[in-house]
Amino acid sequence: MKHQHDEKIMNKIAEQLGADFNAEVIAEVAEHMRECPDCKIYVDSVKQTIKLYRVTESEFSVPEDVSDRLFKVLKLDNR
Amino acid sequence: MIKEAEIIRMALNGDQSAQTELVKTHSTRIYNLGLRIMRNEEDAEDVLQETFITMLNKLQQFSGKSSLYTWLYRIATNIALQKLREKKRLEAKISIHEPDFEALRGSQLREWPEHLEEKINDEQFRNCLSVAMEDLPENYRAVFVLRDLENLSTKEAAGVLEISEANVKVRLMRARLFLRDKLAHHLKCVGETR
Repeated sequence: MKHQHDEKIMNKIAEQLGADFNAEVIAEVAEHMRECPDCKIYVDSVKQTIKLYRVTESEFSVPEDVSDRLFKVLKLDNR
Repeated sequence: MIKEAEIIRMALNGDQSAQTELVKTHSTRIYNLGLRIMRNEEDAEDVLQETFITMLNKLQQFSGKSSLYTWLYRIATNIALQKLREKKRLEAKISIHEPDFEALRGSQLREWPEHLEEKINDEQFRNCLSVAMEDLPENYRAVFVLRDLENLSTKEAAGVLEISEANVKVRLMRARLFLRDKLAHHLKCVGETR
């Protein structure tokens, strides 16, 4: 980031990066992002990363053979 | 429709149809959790089987304070993490030094390409996503999977992993930055360093 960031705002951004992005952004962070394109690019790229994983790691059904073996191991009737 | 608490009570009394119902209700979530943490089908199947064997053997220990799926997530995550640690030991791939997460913060600052979603059909790109996840140390991977892929709350993830909520947040931040950094390198969005 080109200009100097004080520790307080960096900590707040870090806190945001470990929390829910849909939670209300702390006003101070939101204000900083409006003034600091680097920080905005950075946070946006983290959001993009999560989005990409959500798309590619879609949910699979349990394959039939896997399910059959599971119920056999558990000695349960799969019907 | 019978409530889950009633099905659990019936399962505890040895009702096999109730036990089957519980397995059927939760097996897809547990299988996917196993796939996401273990990164392969064979190990995910092991996690699935061991989780439900444990469930049937220890169901009387389920207090009902949390939901059953949270309790099952805790069992499955512990089994998966233990397996990953055993694998590391067997393969002599113990990483003494964790990646330098702090150095990742803000190291690449070029804007990412637009419409990245279109790249997910690109095999090389998908492979990059997968390799990055495999490279993420298991403690961080588990948090990322639980929070960002399984959509558990911070509190739920903390309960599953038996760590503090503050610790979940720190690990999640580091996991996200680690994966972001790997993708940035792949996308060649590596620019000036702070």
